[in-house]
Formats: sequence, C-alpha cells, structure tokens
Amino acid sequence: MPFLAYIDPGSGSMLLQVILAGVLAVPFFFRRVISDGLHRIRGNRGKADEATRDEGGEDATSDR
Amino acid sequence: MLYRQVQASAAADWAAFNSTGLYGRLAADRLIVDHVEVALELAAEPDSIAVIRPRMVDVISYPYEWSFSQLKEAALLTLELQSRALDIGMRLKDASAYNIQMDAGRPILIDSLSFEVAADTEPWPAYRQFCEHFLAPLALIAHRDARCGLMLREFIDGIPLDLAARMLPGRTRLNLGLSAHIHLHASAQRRAANEPPPAADAPRRERRISATGQRALLDSLRRTVEGLRWHPSSHWSEYASTTSYSDAATASKGEIVREMLVAVGGRTAWDVGANTGVYSAMAADAGYRVVAWDQDAASVEAHWRRVRGDANPAILPLICDLANPSPAIGWGLQERASFLERGEPDLILALALVHHLAIGNNVPLPGVARLFARMAPRAIVEFVPKEDPMTRRLLAARRDIFESYTIGGFREAFGVPYRILRETSVADSPRTLFLLERR
Repeated sequence: MPFLAYIDPGSGSMLLQVILAGVLAVPFFFRRVISDGLHRIRGNRGKADEATRDEGGEDATSDR
Repeated sequence: MLYRQVQASAAADWAAFNSTGLYGRLAADRLIVDHVEVALELAAEPDSIAVIRPRMVDVISYPYEWSFSQLKEAALLTLELQSRALDIGMRLKDASAYNIQMDAGRPILIDSLSFEVAADTEPWPAYRQFCEHFLAPLALIAHRDARCGLMLREFIDGIPLDLAARMLPGRTRLNLGLSAHIHLHASAQRRAANEPPPAADAPRRERRISATGQRALLDSLRRTVEGLRWHPSSHWSEYASTTSYSDAATASKGEIVREMLVAVGGRTAWDVGANTGVYSAMAADAGYRVVAWDQDAASVEAHWRRVRGDANPAILPLICDLANPSPAIGWGLQERASFLERGEPDLILALALVHHLAIGNNVPLPGVARLFARMAPRAIVEFVPKEDPMTRRLLAARRDIFESYTIGGFREAFGVPYRILRETSVADSPRTLFLLERR
C-alpha cells in the first residue's frame, strides 16, 4: 500500500514549541557551560594523573 | 522480503542520509535496521531513485503490546535518533512509535526513510507526535495505571493530549516536563483550535527557534521520559515464587518440557501465558527464538527487565490477552495486523494456561484446541485438572458447569485438530503435559 508520509505538526504544538525552546534554552545553555567546565577540569586532572603514572614513581610531579 | 523505493522528491534527503555517514553510524550502533540497495528495476514507480531491501525483524509488535520499559526505551531511542540527526543538519520527520520495533532484545528504528535535511532552527514537526505516541502513555502508566498502555490500541496515532491531561493526577502539573509537554501542550492545542482560520491570502508564518532552543527542547523531553518510573507489582509477576507446586513437581515439569522442546527441534516458539518467562528461557536454551506473551503488564515488565539484564536476544516478552488478543486496526483494518497475522511460529508453549481459558474465560476445550492449532503446527500444552489447587481456586466462587473439563475431554477436544505425539504425567502433581502435532 503506497503511503505518503505526512504528519500534522499542529499549530498549537508549533507555537508551544517555539515558546518552550526559548524558555528552556536559558537553563540548558548554562547547564552546558557548567558541565563543559567541570569536564575540562576533570579532564585536565585525569591527564595530570596519567602523566604522573607515565613518568613512573612518586618522584614525578604533576605540576606541569 | 520487503522492498522500499526512494522517490525522486526525497533524493536530497536520501543522499544526505548516506553521504553524511548518518546511516552508517546508526546501522553500526544497531539503532536502525540495516538494508541493502538493490537494482532500480525493482521500483514499483518510475520516478524512484533507489530501491532498498531492509532486513526484516523476527516479529512485528506494536506499542500497545509493549511493557512500560519497552515503550520508554523506544522513546529514548527516538530522541537519540533526532539528536544525532540534528548534529549533521538533518532531522526525524516523524516520531511514530510504530517506526520502532523490538529486535534481538532491544528497540531499533525500522523506517530507513525517516530522515530529512533541515536546519536546526526549524521547529521539530514531530514534537506533537512524540508527546502523543510516547510521553502521554508513559506518563499515564507511571502516574495512573499500567493498563492505560492498552489505550494505544484504541488511539492508533497516540493518546490525545487533552485526554491525557484530564486523566493524569493533578500532581503531575508540578512536574516541570509533564506540565509543559502535556498539560500546557493540551491547552495550547485547545486555544489554537478555537482560533479563526487564517485568511486565504495570509502569508504562511515561518516560525524559527534557536539551535540551542532546539536541543534544549530535546533535552527536556529526554529528562522528562527518563524521570518516569513504574514499579510493577501484581499477583502474576510474583506467581512463579508463590505457586503451590512441590520442588519435585517443578523439576519434573521442567524435565518433560525440555525433552519435548528438543523433540520438536523447531527454531521459533511462542510461549503463551508466559508469566515471567521460566519456560521461555528453557526454550531459548534449547535454541528457539521465543516470543513470550502474557496478559499481565507487570509480568511482561519483569520479564523484559530480566531479558535486558541478561542481554538475551532470543526472547521477546510482549503483552497480549489470549482471550482478547490484539485485533487488526486502522485504515481498512490493514494498518496494524492482528495477533494471529503476525506470523506462524514452529511451536506454541501453553503451560498452565488451558484452565484459565476453559474455566476462567468459559471457552469450551474444542475452541481452545482450534485456536492453538491455528497458531502453530506443534504445541506443548499442559492440562491442569480440577483436583489441582490452582483450578480449585478458579472454581471456588462459582458453580462447576464444566463437566467435560477432564483429561478425557481434553484428549477428545485436542484430538480433533491435533495428533497426540506424547502424553506425560508430571511427578508429584495431578498435571499432564501433551506434545501435539497439527493434523
């Protein structure tokens, strides 16, 4: 059975989506900034730990 | 085998889907069924630009047969697909739950032609459909009652949001996601429906959202879905641990079923009245791919969680009441197939089920035999006589009008459509197992 895919997005749904996208964008943006920041800090620390291990032993410092 | 043609009007979408590597990545991650491109001559219409043959999934199932977690995983997959599409300048053009199937123990998109090129600043046309197909039934199951999932059988295009909003408890208005995507959404629809239609010459308004807003909306839907939880508990889901059989009877029954499964040597089995799947697992161990049907949403949910935990791709638990199985629905009754049109397994397993149909549902034994024989060429059926405590419980509150419900009556009724290949009594129990072959 040939079937033309088509859905009705609904004008009320479209309008709501535009409003919600505007409202939700603000907390979403800041959450992303914060989580990116945390990742970067954790990422750097992870790398530093690795460097310590790579250089072997307790003498190696990680303040590079 | 199924062929699908890509029409010329979708040429750019199809090219982008392939050239961006989206198809390759989704197929590699098993989020979409893989397909092969076949000769263009196979197209049914002249303006096609490609023909594909998608891999077929074992058994087609529908959202009204899924348990809560199956529907939830299908919802999260839909959002994941939309999110990945957005990253490369495409989008899902619809969010139909029917585009998702359960394949080898996990949900997968079966509509290879669902993606189109779109800027991430255009609103998602499938937002409403996602809320109706996924969010509304999930919220109703989680916050009202698991049986609300069956409403999808009536509402083929998802649960209308005004209905969902009225049925959900008032406290769901305090849930940010549900309050926005269901309650506010329903009001927005009502308001739009009451507006006068635009003038014929009015320009079409193009709405835009920010790319961040687009992802924020998707993220909000994802968090809302993830936040929905359902803790199943029912008489049936604890059935396996609360039955009255002795250990000897359980061991004996298991042994007999295992021997019969091996004797049949089939590849596919439907376990009807599977409960939480003790014997489905046995069939899977014997090399069968099993669909485990049960009418109780909590049992199916518990079964799916276990199958998921074991990563067992051979078993698919689904909801179905054999006394009132899924009908054919939709346009011309041809959009969604009935339970009996979903293919024929090599074998059905009907253990501790016949007394429920014959006594619980008043179906005469010849009627039970005929239905079973329609479903598969072979059957393993357990007869639970009146002296069994489980049957006595069914008869406790009613007059016994079931004179022919005896082992003799069983042999006579099932002897019509079937030949009885084996008949074995379960040790330390009044029950008997039959191995049957269709005449």
